[in-house]
Order: sequence, then structure tokens, then C-alpha cells
Amino acid sequence: MPYVEFKGQKLEVDEDGFLQEPEKWSPEVAEFFAKHFEGIEKLTEEHWKVINYLREYWLKYGVAPPIRMLVKQTGFSLQKIYELFPSGPAKGACKVAGLPKPTGCV
Amino acid sequence: MMEKLFDEYRGLSDKKIRPNEPKSEQFLKAFKELLDKKNNWAFLLPFKLSLEACTHCGTCAEACPVYIGSGREKIYSPVYRADMLRRIYKKYFTLSGRIFGRLVGAKEITERDVNALAEAAYRCTICRRCALACPFGLDNGLIMREARKILAELGIVPDELKEEGVENQITYGSAPKIPYEALMNILDFVKSEIEENRKNVNIEVPVDKVGAKYLIINNAGDYLSFLDTIRGIVEIMNYVNEDWTFNSQNTGVFDNVNYGLFYSDKDMIRVIRAHLETFKKLKPEYVVVGECGHAYDVLGHLMKDLIPAEERPFKVIHIVELYDKFLREGKLKLDKDKNSAPVTFHDSCKIGRCGGIYDEPRRLIAASCRDFREMYPNREYNYCCGGGGGFALMSKYNFLDFRMKTYGKLKVQQIKDTGASTLITICANCKRQFLDMVSYYNLNTTVSGLSEIIANALVY
Repeated sequence: MPYVEFKGQKLEVDEDGFLQEPEKWSPEVAEFFAKHFEGIEKLTEEHWKVINYLREYWLKYGVAPPIRMLVKQTGFSLQKIYELFPSGPAKGACKVAGLPKPTGCV
Repeated sequence: MMEKLFDEYRGLSDKKIRPNEPKSEQFLKAFKELLDKKNNWAFLLPFKLSLEACTHCGTCAEACPVYIGSGREKIYSPVYRADMLRRIYKKYFTLSGRIFGRLVGAKEITERDVNALAEAAYRCTICRRCALACPFGLDNGLIMREARKILAELGIVPDELKEEGVENQITYGSAPKIPYEALMNILDFVKSEIEENRKNVNIEVPVDKVGAKYLIINNAGDYLSFLDTIRGIVEIMNYVNEDWTFNSQNTGVFDNVNYGLFYSDKDMIRVIRAHLETFKKLKPEYVVVGECGHAYDVLGHLMKDLIPAEERPFKVIHIVELYDKFLREGKLKLDKDKNSAPVTFHDSCKIGRCGGIYDEPRRLIAASCRDFREMYPNREYNYCCGGGGGFALMSKYNFLDFRMKTYGKLKVQQIKDTGASTLITICANCKRQFLDMVSYYNLNTTVSGLSEIIANALVY
């Protein structure tokens, strides 16, 4: 299994860079993933609004929210979400938020 | 960087392909089994004929979107790919090949051949446009599917299709693993969105209703990525006031997909069985396949060849056929001016060329859009978008680049030539591929299902 090193600890990720052990996620890990995978220097309040919503939904329902719901609940357009997370809501934002890789035709 | 096995792209991991491990013996064994009626109950005859009768006339090359899109690179022609398997077939399974060898196009298998085939089998979406062009009616696309089946016996299958696809679907009811509570939350959201948009309309979303006339089973990815399509379905079904239902994990499988189609008859049958179990509980008169192409191919067509009629006491239709029926019965009042932007329609391979549905979506679009523009070629001659054969799910390594620079490149031009601002398609794999194209090529195109287009035009 591939891994990335963060503050001396090894974080297991899958081939697409998604965190394998969700309990190892922390805001610091998010900052690190954002820089490492998405090239985001510093997470802003707007980034955190997306990350927090994704994370809360996932913890409550066990799956990432539909993109349409994410757009409505954060008030950000899909275009804006792509500006914040260049790889998009699934491959970018979900990865930073420590969610598992979305599977199926998504 | 990983080793080059076939071309500059890689879609499967070294962990799957195991390039340094000898596999040719196992490959030949699996190949031999596939040539036996006992193990190949669906496609043996066309498979053998396609292996034996090809004259290498090259007609199929000009029909292949990968070949054309790549700038006519020889390695991407259907006959080149199929010959990788054909040579081995001739050498080991025909008398002339055993005796005359290279003179009749036979060649001994090498480990390198197996590794190259592992990737080459995933350069073809099995769109079968080549089969349409072949003067002899041979199907080089089918040969690639059969190659995938051999490879699957060696454990070489993309995780996206097997572990994360078929196995998730059978275990959790859907490939995206949507729990019941999440589905209910999503459907509540859909209901409130429609009710906000259409004042004074009361929306109901039946789930797991036993004995409903129409069981609409969607590609579960739609609940996450293409919720507008779900919203369209819900609004239309409420508008026509018919007896219908969705289903959930609680009644079994609620994802219409069958990724087994892309790599293994055995897994395809496992999924079919799981679907049949589900339908047995729900007892619908019609199983309506939501906006998905390959699911319609399996449930609507292949299942009829594989499962006795008494085990499937229901009719299977694509949702676009259902809408078309409502339209013809005068149940849909539509205002074209609600969709005034120019639209075009992409015929999905599994619904068009392999499914024979062309006029239904066109009638519906004509009734709900002001400005419809055909793309060329279209209908059975339309080019595959590049998301077929499981590709829409695959974007590891540089596989997205492959999808975009071959199929995608050709498709983008086709869309641009129409001048349409909205592209309508009725398959989730196509939608995924188009959305990837929009971001890869920075297009100003809106990608849409047909359900939301019709729903938007409804007159109350």
C-alpha cells in the first residue's frame, strides 16, 4: 500500500491518494493533503466550509453527499468548488476531507 | 513511473498485471476453457468466427474512434488489437496454425504478449462500431471482451470494475455503497427541491413498494453525481401520476449497473442473479432501467438469452421508452420554450447501436426543446464517447489522458460542430466521460440527462 509521510507518521493512501485510515484524519492532515495533492498553499475559510460540510455529512450518513447538495448547502457554484479544489469535489475536496474514494459511476 | 507494456498509457496497476510473473501458461489454459461451450455459453460462435474469418482488409480501422482519434496510429486499429489474441488462437487452437505457424498468422505466446494484452484489452470500449463496418460481420470488439475474460481468470481486472464495482454492488446494494439513511436523505432533498421550484405541487417518492407497475432502478451513481436526472424522473413520474417505485438496499440491489459485462460472464451472471432476487421481492410489472447504457444491454437484452422466461416474470424497458409511451399517450404536456438553448444528443452505444433505441429520445427532445441539432455521424454510426467498456470509472495513472486524447478528442470536435450549448445523453458512463471532457478541454457545454430536460418543459 502506498503512503505519504506527515510529521514523522506514515499515512496509508490508496493508488489515487485517498486516506485509508479515516481515524488518522485531522485538520493538519487536511492542510497537508491540500498542499500535497491539490497544490493549495493555505486552506481558506471557504475551503473549510466545503471540507466541514463533506466531513459532517459523511460521518452522519456514511457516504459523500450528492454534488448538487454540496452546491446548495455551501452556496458555492460547482465552478467555484473547482476553483477551490482544482481536481473537483470528488477527487479533490473529498480527498482533502479524508473521505474514502467514491466508487461506482460517480 | 511504471513500465511500458503496450503504449505510453497505463490503466491497470503493476499489482494487478504483475509484469514480472510468468502467466502465459495460465493464459493458454483460460483461453482453452473459453473455447468450450460449457464455459462460454453466450458468445462462443461469434467469438470463434471472428477469430477465424478475418481477412485483414482493414475496413474496421476507419470505423474505430480510438484509431481515428489517436491520429490513425496502427496499434489502435481494431484488427491490430484483435490480432494480439488471434495469433495465439491460431498457434495453439487451430491445425493450420500448429503446422504452418507464421505463414497463417500464428505465433507462439510470450510473457510480453500477455502483459501487452492486459493493457491493450483496455484500449477498446467494445463500442462495436467496427463490427458494423466489417464486410463479414465479424466483431473485433467482442474479441477484446473475450480477452478481458481470459485476463480476469488471471486476476487481471481493474479494481474500479470488480472490487469497487461488482463486489460493492452485491455486498452493499450499490457500487457507491449508499446506505439506506443516506438514500432517504437524498430523496427528501430531491422532493423539497421540486416542491420549492413548482409551488403547489405535492411530490411523492415511493421506495421499495411491492407490486408497483413500474420499478425504476437507476444507476446508483446518479444519486450522487447526476441528481438532476433523479429529480427529473421523480417530477415526471409524479406528473403522469403512475404507480411506480424506486428501491433501496433494503430490497437488495438498487444499482442497475452490471460491470461484469465488461470483464467476466461469471460476474455478470452473479449480478444478474442479485438483480433477479431483488425483482422477485418487488414484483413489478415493468423493470425500468434508469439513464444507463450497459445496464440496459444486460437487463434488456443479454438476460433474455441467459435466463429462462419463467424466472423473469416482468418486462424490461429503458426509461426513455417509458417517457416516449407517456408522450404518445398524451400524458406529457411540454413547452419547448422552456428549453430554448441549442441542444444536441449523443447516441450511447449500448442504447443505440447495441439496443436499437434511436427515435424515442429524438421524439422527446423534439417535444421539449426549441432547437435540436443532430451531431454527425449519429444513430448507429455515432462514435463512442470513450466512457464505455468501464472506462468512465477508470482514471488511474494517465488513463484519463488516454480517454481524452483519443475518443475525447474526436467527440469534442463532433460536439463543437453542432454549435449546441447543451449535450443530452441517457447513459451515466457517457455523462461522466463528457463531464471529464468539459473540464479537460475547458468547454462551455452543459452535460444533461434527458429526464431533467423533459421535467423542465412540463406544463402544469
